[in-house]
Amino acid sequence: MTNDWTDIKNSDCILVQGANPAENHPASMAWVNEARDKHGAKLIVVDPRFTRTAATADLYVALRPGTDIVFLGGLINYTLQNRLYNEEYVKYYTNALTLIHPDFKGPADLDGLFSGYDAEARSYDTASWQYQKEQKTVTVTQKDPVTGEDVTVEKQVSVPKKATSLDDPNCAFAHLKKHFARFTPELVEQVCGTPKEKFLQVAELYCATGAPDKSGTIMYAMGQTQHTVGTQNVRATAILQLLLGNIGIPGGGVNALRGESNVQGSTDMALLFHDLPGYLGSPTDKHPDLAAYLAKFDTTSYWVNGPRFFTTLMKAWFSAAATKENDYAYHYIPKTSGNYSWIALFEAMYAGQIKGLICMGQNPAVAGPNARLERKALQNLDWLVMMDLFETETASFWKGPGVNPQEVKTEVFLLPAADAMEKAGSIVSSGRRSQWRPAVAAALGDDKEDIWILTRLVRDLKEAYKDSTEAKDRPILDLVWNYGDEPDVELVAREINGYALEDVKDASGKVLVEKGKVIPGFATIASAADPGTIACGNWLFGGYFAEADDGTGTMMPAVKRRGQNDPGGYGFYPNWGFTWPANRRILYNRASARPDGTPWAENKKVIWWDPTADSGQKDAQGNPILGKWVGYDVPDFPPTKKPDAKADPAKTGLGAQAGTDPFLMKSDGKGWLFAPAGLNEGPFPEHYEPLESAVVNPLSGVQNNPVIKLWDTDADKEIGDRVGTSDEFPIICTTYRLCEHWQAGAMSRNLPWLAECQPDMFIEMGEELAQEKGIKNGGQVIVASARGQIKVVALVTKRWRPYQVNGKKVHQVGMPWHYGWQGLATGDIANDLTPHIGDGNTMIPEYKAFLVDVRKA
Amino acid sequence: MVSVMARVAMLFDAFRCTGCRGCQVACKQWNDLPAEVTHNTGSYQNPPRVSSDTWLLMQFREVEREDGGLTWAFRRYACMHCLEPACVSACPVGALYKTEEGPVLHHNNRCIGCRYCMLACPFEVPTFQWDKGLFEGPQIKKCDFCVDRLSAGMEPACVQTCPAGALMFGDRDELIAVAEARIQEHPERYVNHIYGKDEAGGTSLLYISPVPFQQLGMPKLGSAPIQKDAEDIMQKATPAVLVGMLVGLSGLYWVVKRRQEMMGKNGGSGTQGDREA
Amino acid sequence: MTREIALRRPPISPAVVVLGGLFVLGLVAAIIRYVNGLGAITNLNDNTAWGLWISFDLLCGVALASGAFITASMVHLFGGERFRPLLRPAILTGFLGYLLVILALMVDLGRPDRIWHLIIFWNTDSVMFEVGWCVMLYTLVLALEFSPLVFERLGLVAPRRLIHALIIPLAIAGATLSTLHQSSLGSLFVILPEELHKIWFTPLLPLMFWLTAVAVGPAMVILESTISSRVFQRGLHLDLLGDLAKVIPFVLAAYIAVKFGDLAGSGELDLLVDWDLESGLFWLEIIGFVALPMVLFSLRAVRESSGWLLFSALLVIGGVILSRFAVSLIALGRPEFAASYVPHPLELAVTIGVVAAGVAAFALVARYLPLFVEAAPSTAAE
Ligand SMILES: Nc1nc2c(c(=O)[nH]1)N[C@H]1C(S)=C(S)[C@@H](COP(=O)(O)OP(=O)(O)OC[C@H]3O[C@@H](n4cnc5c(=O)[nH]c(N)nc54)[C@H](O)[C@@H]3O)O[C@H]1N2
Ligand SMILES: Nc1nc2c(c(=O)[nH]1)N[C@H]1C(S)=C(S)[C@@H](COP(=O)(O)OP(=O)(O)OC[C@H]3O[C@@H](n4cnc5c(=O)[nH]c(N)nc54)[C@H](O)[C@@H]3O)O[C@H]1N2
Ligand code: SF4
Ligand code: SF4
Ligand code: SF4
Ligand code: SF4
Ligand code: SF4
Ligand SMILES: [Mo]
Repeated sequence: MTNDWTDIKNSDCILVQGANPAENHPASMAWVNEARDKHGAKLIVVDPRFTRTAATADLYVALRPGTDIVFLGGLINYTLQNRLYNEEYVKYYTNALTLIHPDFKGPADLDGLFSGYDAEARSYDTASWQYQKEQKTVTVTQKDPVTGEDVTVEKQVSVPKKATSLDDPNCAFAHLKKHFARFTPELVEQVCGTPKEKFLQVAELYCATGAPDKSGTIMYAMGQTQHTVGTQNVRATAILQLLLGNIGIPGGGVNALRGESNVQGSTDMALLFHDLPGYLGSPTDKHPDLAAYLAKFDTTSYWVNGPRFFTTLMKAWFSAAATKENDYAYHYIPKTSGNYSWIALFEAMYAGQIKGLICMGQNPAVAGPNARLERKALQNLDWLVMMDLFETETASFWKGPGVNPQEVKTEVFLLPAADAMEKAGSIVSSGRRSQWRPAVAAALGDDKEDIWILTRLVRDLKEAYKDSTEAKDRPILDLVWNYGDEPDVELVAREINGYALEDVKDASGKVLVEKGKVIPGFATIASAADPGTIACGNWLFGGYFAEADDGTGTMMPAVKRRGQNDPGGYGFYPNWGFTWPANRRILYNRASARPDGTPWAENKKVIWWDPTADSGQKDAQGNPILGKWVGYDVPDFPPTKKPDAKADPAKTGLGAQAGTDPFLMKSDGKGWLFAPAGLNEGPFPEHYEPLESAVVNPLSGVQNNPVIKLWDTDADKEIGDRVGTSDEFPIICTTYRLCEHWQAGAMSRNLPWLAECQPDMFIEMGEELAQEKGIKNGGQVIVASARGQIKVVALVTKRWRPYQVNGKKVHQVGMPWHYGWQGLATGDIANDLTPHIGDGNTMIPEYKAFLVDVRKA
Repeated sequence: MVSVMARVAMLFDAFRCTGCRGCQVACKQWNDLPAEVTHNTGSYQNPPRVSSDTWLLMQFREVEREDGGLTWAFRRYACMHCLEPACVSACPVGALYKTEEGPVLHHNNRCIGCRYCMLACPFEVPTFQWDKGLFEGPQIKKCDFCVDRLSAGMEPACVQTCPAGALMFGDRDELIAVAEARIQEHPERYVNHIYGKDEAGGTSLLYISPVPFQQLGMPKLGSAPIQKDAEDIMQKATPAVLVGMLVGLSGLYWVVKRRQEMMGKNGGSGTQGDREA
Repeated sequence: MTREIALRRPPISPAVVVLGGLFVLGLVAAIIRYVNGLGAITNLNDNTAWGLWISFDLLCGVALASGAFITASMVHLFGGERFRPLLRPAILTGFLGYLLVILALMVDLGRPDRIWHLIIFWNTDSVMFEVGWCVMLYTLVLALEFSPLVFERLGLVAPRRLIHALIIPLAIAGATLSTLHQSSLGSLFVILPEELHKIWFTPLLPLMFWLTAVAVGPAMVILESTISSRVFQRGLHLDLLGDLAKVIPFVLAAYIAVKFGDLAGSGELDLLVDWDLESGLFWLEIIGFVALPMVLFSLRAVRESSGWLLFSALLVIGGVILSRFAVSLIALGRPEFAASYVPHPLELAVTIGVVAAGVAAFALVARYLPLFVEAAPSTAAE
């Protein structure tokens, strides 16, 4: 989330699109309702099905699964056509004025594709997506590496070229307009199946938040992301929010409602293959040495500090073994050479390329797409180590349906893990706020904390390799793992926060942090003369375990605070826990003030420029320099940088950005309406149909996302990656969560009270479809897809209705995916039906739209 | 009960309620109630009704609105803690009683298990432990307003759990004011009525709703306490009949006897047979 | 002493065996119930808290026991000395009826061990309280009214004298308690204005219950006399029964009047042409079980034929059973839950066992106690 849960209460319009917070993030409803109470905010829900969130909404609108880009594109178009965008915001804070490469062409010209597509490779050459740049010669002062003296040198830098007006046909804004002009209300009706009037109702309500004294928030989650165009769905959200000036302000933001209770923390800590902690990015085989790796960090944004953060990370992991001389042991870090995301891993496992799997708090036998195939893949393992609270379907995959245990050679170890309540530690919520939780119960039986298990694993690995002289084993031997034999999680927290290995000094030699002390924040890393004096497990969490005031004068590690004061009344609660980065509640909050530093509106002021405030700095004469960003939140901006500060191309880092550049992690400091980098399928979101769709793409000749990786393993076999067609499987199916169950179900289907609430696996369908198929409410039905079939209870409801798409009636059904054969509430596995296909960027599986057929059992 | 504010009440706002059932589960958790074995019969709702093991049940109804739209209405189904509880009136041994503070409680040690309270309650709330034999001592069960929590200064478990703020706990008059204000501020959201303000003589549970209350699943009740006629019978008719008959029959007997004696003098057959009664 | 009618039957007969068997079955069911709870042998649940046992064993049982107070009142209070021959069997039927009601209640009550709570914990607002007290007191009255048979058998003169002295107050108390009791069973349902179907609900339910109880009293005497005369092969007082039956049409007429008057008064007559279950029941009762016996009993020919008398009495009895079931079960719609209650076989077994026990007890009493006294003259006795 760019904002925080509590901040939802500041919103004037809450658009829930692709999420179901009442069921999956119930606590958020308190803030939604506060917004509705306090200033009459409206709640809009856009979802293929009438959810429990829809039940409480002011406006509910249905759309066909997998068509959010068209819907959001429609909103973007409506905003542009009706000039509802915040023009000043757009001009100053986004890249609207930046000129794009003259060769750039979009789907409007190329029938659904962007310029640079290579059909063979299923990828784009992004050269034509780049900004137009101009070369500038600048003089820079830098230290002479030999003499150590300051010298001035001339340097060529290239800076993005800007248009002077939004009307310039080559500027990003013009491209944006052209691209989205196609997304008319009529198209929305045609593609999404949403009646035009309904769409316009949403547009009218939501796009009104472009007014400076209004803010709108978009709450989204898997309904947007679990598609082959998931990333671009989110991009569309971001573009809309940028246009409406809704980013950086209270009650605004692009708000991903994260999933697992600490999934935000685990993402921050880089549990995904492509990253290192703090979003530093994994080294790949394109980065053979440290220099190559560090070169990927922008030098004209705050990422200029990326190399320093990397250094402190390596010091945290390898301490003395990581030295400046050995490139901080860069060679210890594996370089990725391909895609190691979920589907790819299971395909590799299926192909017998993976011998062992440690599965720690995951239940792929139920949760993975095309789960039958994934369960079969598990049979190809030599060993499987499970750490879980329960004997899950994965732990018992060898006795699942259709499996003969005798034929399974995989050796399965089940290590009982202690539950969250049974161990202390910090968790990070969607709002990036970390909170410390003490252990409140003793672990049962043999259950052990995960860190206890890992500590033994590390100890034994080190033991096993202790006599090795081979270079490849050094990382294991040099890994620093000194949290104690009965590991003390506070030591881990301290390492994540960062601490001084030696006295940390700034350039002038002043000691910033004494040896052994925790650092107060990542600014210390940025300003240390030698970042190698610091070990920091994750720069974003710099300061989270440092002593801080809880608002009552009591000092304690920041993450443990429970201070309840709320200056400004926005629900920021700055003394409660710690929000990365730097305890900041709203990201990019510089944008909450006008370019000149004054708030957009009195009711939306977060930080503003106070020209009379003492900056704490002194000029050459020793007089205090006045002027400072003040307010209720920690400014996401250099605190004394004037609003009218000019970008200085001669400088690196934030010096290269202006006082009106709020998006300081971006190379140009702007919010990207046009994304020149970072996305595989194009700078703008374009609608493509889900891999399996009942509809031919009405928008262009390109049916599916052109960059997705297609799998066809054993497509001709009973278990395999077969793709279904709409003549065989005419019904759209989506999967989702129930309030009463948790994920793959081990944690809720083993709880009698929750099993009681939702005892059986079911499928929801509309009355019309049920009638057509002769299916009775409460009866048994068979649901089949190209991957398999399952038997479930039919729940016939008024909440599901067919769509009119392109003049054709399309039925849709939906299923929870929580069930499996273990536990108290059991049922067939929804994922036995879902396809092995992922998003074009993140590879998140397309769980939300695929084809099935249903019949009476 | 101690330290409970006078006339405690609870406001259930069906517009805000998202049917998450946190309250339903919290109630079980706090009161240590076992789960029932259930089956999906084509609805999210489960168990099918309140029972001795389920004191609070969220019910789900799909209500088609006049404008063609749909409302998924969620009803809180639990004891209403009536101001003039029919169950209390009905209980022959006074096992059910209304506390001054508001909660209607069950004094299990008195209960004889006649289950008349179950019939009497217009909300079909009291339930019985059908599976307990004589030795386990079956009991009447229902929501007790979490009196144990109230007396410890906490709010009821269901209220504390509700993430949507659909449940509010407090003084009845104040909650009525809150309900009135909500309806007034958002006439488009609510039916203009506070259920429980007057129904059946008033209840400690107050409901406001986006759909007509009958569609929410609330019984249509007048403002008179449900037991009014029954109590009239008990308080007025019964004593009258009792006295009237004793006196009347004695009088009648006397008259008849006199007449027969007269007739006996005139040669009647007498009344010797009396002793053969 | 009065002359007993000698009974010519062997002590163990197939009938006794069957009755005993049924009773044992009921007993076994009851034991299961005591061990495993009501749910184990009944189809009662939270939707249907009262079932067969309340509808039949209690409500019908009490109504059908009304012959006792009717006859006692006739004989002792209203100068109907002629009816004395009917008295003892009627009292016995009533007494057994009440004992069986108590027996059934001891199975039905959740906590039968606490039945005495009724005595010490009072809630005078509760109709159930009245019901409870009436059962207790009237059973006591019946016991006293019945006791002379025992005393006679044992030859105890003093206690018999005492009872004799008290017979009038007892009759008055009996009539009063019965009236309260019969009507209060109706009052039980006055607390269900919402749940009970409008056709059947009225605050006048107590009056209706009382009226039907008064009508069914003579009918029960007719039934019991006719059957016992056949079973025990003794003479039938057809003349007395015929006279007794004369009162029935008046009571039934009153019942019909109250019923229609009430519906008219509350403007609910139109419900009668809804042709749903409830209106169907209504018409069935009114035509088949009220109007028809009313007509029949007004006919001299009927009153002079034991067969027709029995038939008409059975109609009245059937009508009372029907109306009790209607009010307490069939028309008692739980609006939320379409409860489809059908008694569990073992539930039925208990009821049958209870009835069997009653019949057996009657037979035993008939065999061993001076139940059937010759009408007169009895001057010789003392
Ligand atoms: N109770 C409960 N809460 C949970 C979880 C749980 O298992 N149980 N899981 C947690 C986790 S890990 C996560 S990731 C989050 C997920 O939270 P959500 O994303 O809210 O979860 P879902 O129910 O999978 O999907 C949300 C909604 O997307 C809708 N949808 C499907 N397809 C589309 C589409 O194409 N467009 C749009 N606009 N909507 C679509 C579905 O109908 C559904 O209502 O929830 C977290 N919270
Ligand atoms: N069809 C379909 N499939 C989906 C989705 C969908 O929307 N539709 N959603 C996807 C999403 S968003 C997600 S996040 C995944 C989730 O998929 P999984 O992560 O595989 O599912 P969980 O059930 O959350 O698995 C977590 C396991 O961790 C165990 N556990 C809990 N606490 C601890 C602990 O402290 N230590 C250890 N060692 N174990 C613990 C639990 O018992 C549980 O078995 O599923 C995905 N699958
Ligand atoms: S999942 Fe946890 S945090 Fe979220 S609403 Fe439920 S109880 Fe609250
Ligand atoms: S709702 Fe029913 S059980 Fe609760 S107080 Fe009222 S009458 Fe009694
Ligand atoms: S079952 Fe218990 S609480 Fe209910 S009315 Fe009878 S005695 Fe009272
Ligand atoms: S007040 Fe307590 S007992 Fe009653 S429903 Fe709420 S949690 Fe359950
Ligand atoms: S906890 Fe609140 S929102 Fe959830 S079902 Fe209960 S009342 Fe409704
Ligand atoms: Mo997730």
